[in-house]
Amino acid sequence: MSLAGWLRGNAEHYLLVAAQDSVGRQYGANRPRRPRGVQENFWLRMFAPTYRVFPWALRIRVIRAMPGSHRQQWASWDAPPTKRDPGV
Amino acid sequence: MPHTTLVIGGGAAGIGAAGGVKAADPSNEVVVYTEFEDVGYSPCGIPYVHGKEIDSFERLFLAQKEAYVQAKIDVHYETRVNSIDLKRKVIDAVGEGEVRWDRLVIATGFDYADPGVPGGDLGGLYYVKNIRRAMEWDKVLDTVKSAVVVHATPLGVEMTTALAHRGLETHLIDPNPWALADMVDPDIIAPVQESWLELGVNLHFNTTLKSFDGDRSLSGVTTSAGTIPADLAVICTHKQSNVTLAATAGLKVGSTGGLIVNERMATSAPDVFAAGDCAELPHGLTRVGVSGLTGSHAYAQGKVAGFNAGGGTKAYQPVYVPWGTPAGKWVIGGASFGETLATALGIPYVVGRAEGISRARYYPGVKPIKIKLLAEPDQLRLIGAQMVGQEGIKERADFLATAVKFGLTLRDLAAMENVYSPAIGALNEPIAMAAQNGVDNASGGG
Repeated sequence: MSLAGWLRGNAEHYLLVAAQDSVGRQYGANRPRRPRGVQENFWLRMFAPTYRVFPWALRIRVIRAMPGSHRQQWASWDAPPTKRDPGV
Repeated sequence: MPHTTLVIGGGAAGIGAAGGVKAADPSNEVVVYTEFEDVGYSPCGIPYVHGKEIDSFERLFLAQKEAYVQAKIDVHYETRVNSIDLKRKVIDAVGEGEVRWDRLVIATGFDYADPGVPGGDLGGLYYVKNIRRAMEWDKVLDTVKSAVVVHATPLGVEMTTALAHRGLETHLIDPNPWALADMVDPDIIAPVQESWLELGVNLHFNTTLKSFDGDRSLSGVTTSAGTIPADLAVICTHKQSNVTLAATAGLKVGSTGGLIVNERMATSAPDVFAAGDCAELPHGLTRVGVSGLTGSHAYAQGKVAGFNAGGGTKAYQPVYVPWGTPAGKWVIGGASFGETLATALGIPYVVGRAEGISRARYYPGVKPIKIKLLAEPDQLRLIGAQMVGQEGIKERADFLATAVKFGLTLRDLAAMENVYSPAIGALNEPIAMAAQNGVDNASGGG
């Protein structure tokens, strides 16, 4: 597995676990179990809170810097929806 | 000028690609290689045959083998491709040796993630994929009393429902706190889980698989919460892009593990295309790669890849991922983001919710629908939706994915027109109600 794949896989998994905790609490639903061991504690207690500190614009720049299909030619992105007045 | 195109893989993407090659130029030669006995069937329908909603596996085939012969699509069944040589433009196929190609389409699909626990070689572990094996397993289902479904993925949700319908003692184990927790929010899945309990399903969330137990054949499954006696385990772990052949040949792989492609479904090597679960596609909102989408995505990608391989020009587009599935006694669905995924990524959003009905309130068969819309807080542009109901979910998911794609706002949706006819639509469209609720919430009036 590539470094980007390893980083994405872990980051995605533990950010989802952190989100399940937050959204689960909001809805009074079941929540993830508490983290165990060095790896889970690092990703959930260090990485996830640090990730949230940075603004979305910075986070998405880092994410998009990873190798992938999104860095290839996709012409439909040349004309994204424009800012419009409210519909009513 | 006609080309010879080889397609590796006979699933939705591979058959779509073969048709695309012929659509670009009927004089093109196209050969499909599959290691299985059949092509062009719907593996997604297998759980519904097991659940007895569909009466036979034969109904899952899109066409008989003769239809491919008539379409001049040369299918080489049970023929494994060992390697690809990108420089010499040949593949090595078992029993055929080296076969030359002008264009190549990779449609090798997915593998289930290895559960990674002891006992993986025992009998009684069922991986739902190949229709011939499914036919054999369907007979086994008549002989067993209890089954464990390993992980509440989309397939796991379908198989749990199917086995419960079949009358088996069914256990669902998953390390997450609720089913489909990577994509579905807890308020949307809650009615599904309640309905599983009504069907007699035993739910084991926050529960990790430790081992498959038994002597030659499965007798139980050990988890972090204890051992569950079982005759059968259905492995429904996450899908992983099957790129071993392509990556070994030197094709570039993205951060999802899928092959990197552009809008023509062209890979990093000249004259080589990829489609379906082995490819990585960009999400239209985040512009970040995703993989493991649906059969309809795979088929559409295959058609584009094949058309381009055959000498034509077509572009695929970034995805907004409408999805839906029956689950328990409900149907769930949505498009793009839910709250859990948006929260994980840290995308700001406002929410509009509504509980509505699918037909006029007095019309027989009226069903409830719960809808949640997510929008970015600035312009209230829609970024996602999730729903639970019993009818009209699929059509709303398709519409909402298109609404996300074209940048519709909650204000647009609050003012949408809707069909009113007592038997098929209520006076108030639940999407419009949820959108108005979201507008009110955003303006502080909710």
